[in-house]
Amino acid sequence: MHQLGQVGLLLGLVLSAYGMTAAAVGARTRRPGLVESARLTAFAVLALMITVNGAMLVGLLTNDFSLRYVAGNSSTGTPTFFKVLSLWAADDGSLLLWNLILGGYLAAVAIRFRRDRPLTYPYALSVLFGVQLFYLILINGPARPFALLANPPLDGRGPSPLLQNHPLMAVHPPFLYLGFIGFTVPFAFGIAALLVGRSSDDWVSLIRRWTLVVWCFLTVGLVLGALWSYSVLGWGGYWAWDPVENVALLPWLVATAFLHSVMLQERRGMARMWNLVLVIGAFALMTFGTFLTRGSVLSSIHTFAESGVGPAYLAFLTLVLLGGFGLVAWRSSSLREPARLESVFSREAAIIGNNALLLSATAIILLGTVFPLVVEAWTGDQITVGAPYFKKAVAPVFLLLFVLVGTAPLLPWRATNRQRALRRLRYPTVAAALVAVGAAAAGVRQLETVAGLALATLVLVTNAQEITTGLVRGRRGGRRGALLRGRRRFSGLAVHVGLAIFAFGIIASSSFAQQTEVTLSSGQSAELDGYRLRYDGLTTDEQPQRTVLTSTVTVTSPGGEPHGVMRPALNLYPAASEPIGSPAIQRGVVWDLYASVIGLQDNGASATFRFYRNPGVNWLWLGGLVMALGGVSAAWPRRARPRRGRQPVSEREPQPEPESEPGTDLVDLGVS
Amino acid sequence: MSTAQRRLFLLAGVTALVLALAGFLATGVGKDHSIVASPLVGKQAPDFHLQGLDGSAASAVGLSDLRGQVVVLNFWASWCTECRIEQAVLDQTWQRFRDSGVVVLGVNFQDAPGDALDYVAAAGSTYPVVADTDSTTALAYGLRGVPETFVIDQAGQIVERMIGPVNAERLSSRISTLLAGGSR
Amino acid sequence: MSATRGRPSGSAAMVTVAVLAAVGALLFIGLRGDPPPQTRGQLAHQIASGLRCPVCQDLSAADSPAPIARQMRVQIDEKLAKGETAAEIRDGFIAAYGNSVLMTPPRHGLASVAYGFPLGALGLAGLVAALLLRRSLRRPMSDETELIRTEGR
Repeated sequence: MHQLGQVGLLLGLVLSAYGMTAAAVGARTRRPGLVESARLTAFAVLALMITVNGAMLVGLLTNDFSLRYVAGNSSTGTPTFFKVLSLWAADDGSLLLWNLILGGYLAAVAIRFRRDRPLTYPYALSVLFGVQLFYLILINGPARPFALLANPPLDGRGPSPLLQNHPLMAVHPPFLYLGFIGFTVPFAFGIAALLVGRSSDDWVSLIRRWTLVVWCFLTVGLVLGALWSYSVLGWGGYWAWDPVENVALLPWLVATAFLHSVMLQERRGMARMWNLVLVIGAFALMTFGTFLTRGSVLSSIHTFAESGVGPAYLAFLTLVLLGGFGLVAWRSSSLREPARLESVFSREAAIIGNNALLLSATAIILLGTVFPLVVEAWTGDQITVGAPYFKKAVAPVFLLLFVLVGTAPLLPWRATNRQRALRRLRYPTVAAALVAVGAAAAGVRQLETVAGLALATLVLVTNAQEITTGLVRGRRGGRRGALLRGRRRFSGLAVHVGLAIFAFGIIASSSFAQQTEVTLSSGQSAELDGYRLRYDGLTTDEQPQRTVLTSTVTVTSPGGEPHGVMRPALNLYPAASEPIGSPAIQRGVVWDLYASVIGLQDNGASATFRFYRNPGVNWLWLGGLVMALGGVSAAWPRRARPRRGRQPVSEREPQPEPESEPGTDLVDLGVS
Repeated sequence: MSTAQRRLFLLAGVTALVLALAGFLATGVGKDHSIVASPLVGKQAPDFHLQGLDGSAASAVGLSDLRGQVVVLNFWASWCTECRIEQAVLDQTWQRFRDSGVVVLGVNFQDAPGDALDYVAAAGSTYPVVADTDSTTALAYGLRGVPETFVIDQAGQIVERMIGPVNAERLSSRISTLLAGGSR
Repeated sequence: MSATRGRPSGSAAMVTVAVLAAVGALLFIGLRGDPPPQTRGQLAHQIASGLRCPVCQDLSAADSPAPIARQMRVQIDEKLAKGETAAEIRDGFIAAYGNSVLMTPPRHGLASVAYGFPLGALGLAGLVAALLLRRSLRRPMSDETELIRTEGR
């Protein structure tokens, strides 16, 4: 396996170098044959990456401890499922997955453009190969997963305990990587557009769809991360504003800004340079995030140990920033396009506001994350910038953003008919006001909570209302016709609805959670919010890779009825100095009952528990799902429709009526 | 400004910013971020009075009792794999300096008494060991993990803090300096 | 839809009332008197949330399940019972651990610059957006080259 792996990786490196040069040279010298050879090379690279990953997988499954990676991350006692997952559990192995996914995107681009050949395509291919080349240099150089051990041990160390505790490890990293790595594609096309230098806009729709797909993956990846944190780590929360979590969020924010400002370019020809800046920025932030996570610049649960890759990532990041923003600076004059707004109450202005707010949030989070580094470099003092800071700092930005999300879908392009907009705002504002007044009357004391609830209501009602009135109004072709025609708009509205649900989840769980920490001896009960929780003893389960100490907690509801049994556990792994807890969760539509055992005394005669009642956590997962589905729906390829001119009468778009929907307008003709 | 000039100006600006950022980030790379500065170095060592591993009053030790001697205070636990690495160094230091006015004192951190006793018996160490049962002392010393070792001079001031397994040369040179009446 | 045209101010009135009511509710909350005094347990929890668990990555002493964090919580409670103030308790931990034991940057010295970031970022973004809006609103009407474009691929 060792040979196969090393050779495969080296070959991949060589081929990527070839592909990068051939595509670029072929484009410059107008030799389509060269470009085509580069395109086919993409498939070869993917095949090699699959082989190489397969080789490592075989090594893991056959307990080949002569491989340093296998010895360090797997053991004979590890269950097969988690052996497979160890492929991405640690630095070098996850680089294998990274290269595989990158190769997959490369091949996807190659397939997608087997027939149409926009001018930007060869350069984009070249850039993609270039990025793949970098990651292959890394994996052939400083990080070598197929390195051999001189004296192979009899048994491996096993994966880090936290990473083999839960099946979510199967999906969180892959989705996250699909999201992260995917930003390479829009970036490649952005650079290509800059290189080609034409002022044509055909790259925008290309990039838009790719970015949307990548955004969906990243949304799912982030939400799964939160789910993992909640279900596995046992601290009752889902987002700790950890530096690595923060840098994963940053490209998502920038991508969201891009997905909105891209509309400015498509419909009004504005913001061309800005869109390129956003696309390059998203990729740069992703690269920066990778550097922070793997380059041992900060310490975190996700950081992989010092492995000499730091300087390489830094060099790559510098190249990306210089190349990308340098090109933008170089082409800035040809990208300038006089933008014109008719009114400040227009969709265009709202999008500008959206970008301003999202980019502010990005800047705040980025600055806060790197600030400890700055202070340490300047004064030598070490400080922490943690969750309380971030929560307070970004809350106002997101509240302001929600004002936009709750009103902008009502604004048409160019200029608003004020009466119409106000009419549409009736129900949303009334609903928001009712919520605000109701919360105040119910005794809620925190300003952000009430403001957040009211604004989330506004967003929910506005967007839901727009969906329903749009459906009702779609006369031609019936409801289904309206849905298909305005699909892009409806998908966007659906994403906003998902966002509102998500926001309700955040506000509820942050403001109204209850918790208690108590030490109970066997038979004793604790009380939380009317629920009685009785500790009923400990059971020990010896497994090959760990010892599981499961406590039994019998729950009684406030009414006195039995409410099930919860079994929070402590897992003792030989490699870990402290036991890793597994919480027990009773999930409900609104309230979760959450139990985690954090200490045992006298062999289980008594145990220390933390019990929580968390409202709204499940709305986070629901909201995230709706957002992702909305994104998928927006990205779904359209059926080819007959071009204009020879259309049958029934399919022809109606003339814009005075009462037409802002947005389901001429643009959504469905020409694909 | 003409187009070409403006271009160059922007390009220069971008380059300057990027290189500055890269330079700044480079300072963070490669630093060992597990080393945390300790505010206690140079200050009076927090006093404590802890029972021995067997829980008896006879084996209790108080820091103030050791005033006038150099104290090598080592926080350890039986579940700590790195502590085993330094065990030999600590034993040797004890043997070498015990008659010169140096005390090696082990403080057991978050451990079951039985496990701690087994560990000590297996290691065969002879220097005094106490148990910080409620972790108050660990908190007072700003402990972030084990092993950590503090060197306290004859006047009761902390002169050095070592994170991770102790380095033999560093420890003995530090002790020798203190015994010679030297400054830190 | 022409039926509603006869009452143009109806919607405006409704929206205005709603917005005023919401703002009123917020003002009511904001200007309310002091919250009821916290119990010692609540105060202990609050102090613990502001302190970092020394052995964890970015979890507060209140959230962390680690034994040393548990001990911090116990110690905070004991110190409160003895009559120490929140500031004294925090200073005690800073003396042992340094400024990094606080979950947020200290409020004095270079580090306090962080507290200016949010307003600074928002202010800057707002300024740029406002300038952009003003500039593009003032531009004279060009001939209609800004056609609404059809969607690409």
